[in-house]
Amino acid sequence: MSIQINNLTVTFQNKVTAIDHADLEIPTGIFGLLGENGAGKTTLMRVLTTTLAPTEGTVTLDGIQYHENNYEMIQKQIGYLPQEIDLYPGLTVQECLEYMGALAGISKPLCRERIQYYLEKTSLTEHRKKKMKQLSGGMKRRVGLIQALLNEPAFLIIDEPTTGLDPEERIRIRNLLVDFSEKRTVLFSTHVVEDLAATCNQLAVMKKGHFLYSGSVQDLLSNAEGYVWECKIEDPVKARDIEQKYRVSSKQYTEGGIRLRILSRVKPGIDCRPVSVTLEDAYIYLHNY
Amino acid sequence: MCKEIKISLPLYKIACALFFITILSLIRGVSVSYEVGIAIEPAMAILAAAFCSDTYVQEITGRRSEVWHLYPMKKRLRSVGMRLLIQELFLLLLAAAGYGLFFLFQRPLLYGVMHPETFSEIRQFFVYLGAMAVTLAFWSVFANTISCIFRNLWFGMGGSLLLWILTTSAFAQRTFGPRNVFSYTYRNAEDAGDFRWLAGKGICIALCAAMLLLLPTLLKKRG
Repeated sequence: MSIQINNLTVTFQNKVTAIDHADLEIPTGIFGLLGENGAGKTTLMRVLTTTLAPTEGTVTLDGIQYHENNYEMIQKQIGYLPQEIDLYPGLTVQECLEYMGALAGISKPLCRERIQYYLEKTSLTEHRKKKMKQLSGGMKRRVGLIQALLNEPAFLIIDEPTTGLDPEERIRIRNLLVDFSEKRTVLFSTHVVEDLAATCNQLAVMKKGHFLYSGSVQDLLSNAEGYVWECKIEDPVKARDIEQKYRVSSKQYTEGGIRLRILSRVKPGIDCRPVSVTLEDAYIYLHNY
Repeated sequence: MCKEIKISLPLYKIACALFFITILSLIRGVSVSYEVGIAIEPAMAILAAAFCSDTYVQEITGRRSEVWHLYPMKKRLRSVGMRLLIQELFLLLLAAAGYGLFFLFQRPLLYGVMHPETFSEIRQFFVYLGAMAVTLAFWSVFANTISCIFRNLWFGMGGSLLLWILTTSAFAQRTFGPRNVFSYTYRNAEDAGDFRWLAGKGICIALCAAMLLLLPTLLKKRG
């Protein structure tokens, strides 16, 4: 399953262009989508879920063109978890998932089997009889993810699936998604860079409706190789000066002083050493250089 | 079915509706039995509009509409249809109970006892139920349609209120006569053999069918 986006443009009625002549190929596996707020990520996902028709350009899903006549065929292959979703507060977890499964056209026995499987995978089995309104934010998020997985879609689109989850649950969900992405395509949009670092091989970075980068995580890291420096400063005033002069990707108070990670193409004029690049460094480097 | 009931009939709606009909039967004065249906119909119409205006748009306010968008249209229509039907059946039961409450609280004169040769109280009750079923269907579907068009339940309620004010006005009585959507209320109630008001209910059914036919397009374009 691969998704091909060519010359995609989305302009709203108020003349705001959310996506501007963008090209992208999303291959099989987990594909990360990064970008600042308002970059066009949600608009892109709305186009891919057929909720929004593009103003210009084409999108194809395994060769099937996004066109009103083909929407039904495309929609059957998609699972979607929006950034915010408020599932039926008066229903229990089990009822809610059964209801959404029935709406998706899954037979009752198969639906129950899948619900049981995914409830176990997301550690929600003991909460299945709780009403949705009684769940914590993280639990609701997991139920939201299960509803997107229920029809075992060939193309899964998930917007911030790990929001509100504790570290252990985040790892569990990430692993679930990695398993799920075998022979399927998962578009994983998030602000949590470490989630992408732990799951994706391929990613795209969006900014103001364009793709700043699209390719492997390794290549993105390579772009910033040699430009990340670490130093330890004792004087807070000097640390502030450095922050003003350079792009600092992390700042940490330690016993030996303030540890700074600096992004700079040339070696900063202070005592520092080059360090290995993280995805967060590479993302900030891409945005600023 | 059970899940649709839980979704479309939350406890607060049931409580509000029961409170509404009880208060109505206590404060809306009637002196003769044939006035009971007249007293209930317009009030139940506005209750039905308020009750059903969120039938679909709760998917929009709950931010589930983008997920719904992926479901087959047949399933979506079935679900919305079931919700409307469940709410309508509940309101119809409430209307029947309200009819009884009027007799319980206000003890109106029984016109059928005074004129047994021309008027039957039992028949009057079933005619009332039939008229009420059409009225409730029309106002619930109308409110849901307006809400869907504007993607906002307040528009559904507001639009229904505007139509309600228009159709209960003296102007509407003069202009539409027996073709008014409230033709049952404005009929000659003393004459049990006068069924000209059925024209108004026929128009309600036709409009209701037209709005239901519009539903797939609305869910597609505005869902």
